[in-house]
Amino acid sequence: MANNVVILSARRILAALLAIALGGCITARVEDAREHATGINEGESIVVMAKSYHQGNETEADYIRCVENTLARGSKGLRIIPNQQFVDSLFPWFEPRTAPANTKGLVQLMERPGVAEAVKKMGVRYIVWLDGETEKVASGGSLSCAAGPGGGGCFGFAWWQNDADYVASVWDLEGYESAGTVTADYTGTSFLPAIVIPIPLIARTQSRACKGLATQLKAFIIGDTAS
Amino acid sequence: MIATNRLTYLAILISLVASGCASNVKVEYPTIPDPLIDKLPMDIALRIPDEFYDFSHEENVLGKETWTIQLGSANAMFFEQLFGYMFDNVVVLSATDDALDYEFDALIEPHIEGFEFSVPNQSKTDAFAVWIRYRMQIFDSAGNRASTWTVSAYGKSQKEGLGGSKSLRRAAVLAMRDAAALILLQMDKATKIGDLANGPLQVAEIASATSAQDEIFDEDDNIGIFAIGGIDDNGE
Repeated sequence: MANNVVILSARRILAALLAIALGGCITARVEDAREHATGINEGESIVVMAKSYHQGNETEADYIRCVENTLARGSKGLRIIPNQQFVDSLFPWFEPRTAPANTKGLVQLMERPGVAEAVKKMGVRYIVWLDGETEKVASGGSLSCAAGPGGGGCFGFAWWQNDADYVASVWDLEGYESAGTVTADYTGTSFLPAIVIPIPLIARTQSRACKGLATQLKAFIIGDTAS
Repeated sequence: MIATNRLTYLAILISLVASGCASNVKVEYPTIPDPLIDKLPMDIALRIPDEFYDFSHEENVLGKETWTIQLGSANAMFFEQLFGYMFDNVVVLSATDDALDYEFDALIEPHIEGFEFSVPNQSKTDAFAVWIRYRMQIFDSAGNRASTWTVSAYGKSQKEGLGGSKSLRRAAVLAMRDAAALILLQMDKATKIGDLANGPLQVAEIASATSAQDEIFDEDDNIGIFAIGGIDDNGE
């Protein structure tokens, strides 16, 4: 019985080591630039939006969902209003074409009948605008596979590099001002060596960029306690 | 019996191969949220053209695939809902109804002037995009053409899943929603439809509207009337 437990633990450790070893390489840089003090009170919430595609932004929907989920998780999880609910409640003022491009436009928008009331009703304190995308910036190597009556296999080596570059701009709806920005720049290289069986060593660049940005964003928002 | 089975299998195989080269996307009724705007106190007649009840568009990606998008009656329902939110009273007329049988301040007749979409294979991106161009013709209660306004709308959705049908459908709905936002916020400013609540156009105004009409038709695109990324307050 004791021997079985030891063997099981050894297998788990081996699997964990293998998983770490099989990951690709990632370099990361996360920074924030604060313009005003921040903080969040009980009952206040955050909405995470993608900057308008009318302006060429390509932020992925799953990246936004990942940032929302990461901000909401944990002991200091923030209250998140789903962006579709926010946009629908304020229709037509936060559509890709009509959303304010800066805080000056935000001040004008809040003066419109019913807008400030709708925002207050949802308890939204901060709007986080995400800009950026993950893209493949380089690739190389060659890999070929063949199959015959006796079996098949692959031989070769391929690699590719993804760059995840995102900026989160934080607008404080208490004073209708920009609170600052958080940026995340992650570069990950994935490898695919194959000697009969391909062994993928995948760098999860976008996922890491999501967690890195969201963690820093959470700290940025709750960093200063509101009075 | 064996020959019949073989033929059946062959037919299934051919249909599978053929369906791999063609995608058909059906757009259901796109719901517009209740807008945060004040209604215009007007009685409107909305003439829905026949094309709005059964609209479909096909794009051939050269040498690769054919995409068909079926809007069905989505456009008719879209405009009925939109103008229901925008004006106090709206009566819907079909293409064959005689407008003289109804009382209204203005009659609006929307048309689809252009519909295009692109799929990732064409744009070399991960996104589906849809462009819709509506032409709105506005008449006064006496039947004079008061103005014509072209609305160019755009929707984009990133590819999710294997097929992409869901993403194309979402891009089409986003384009219609984009048109709704533009119409809600800019129609009165662009067409001065609100002035028709005071009665039909005077003779001088009819001449002016006709002249303005000619200028509009000469323009390539009047989308610039609305600034992207905020609210254009000029002229308010």
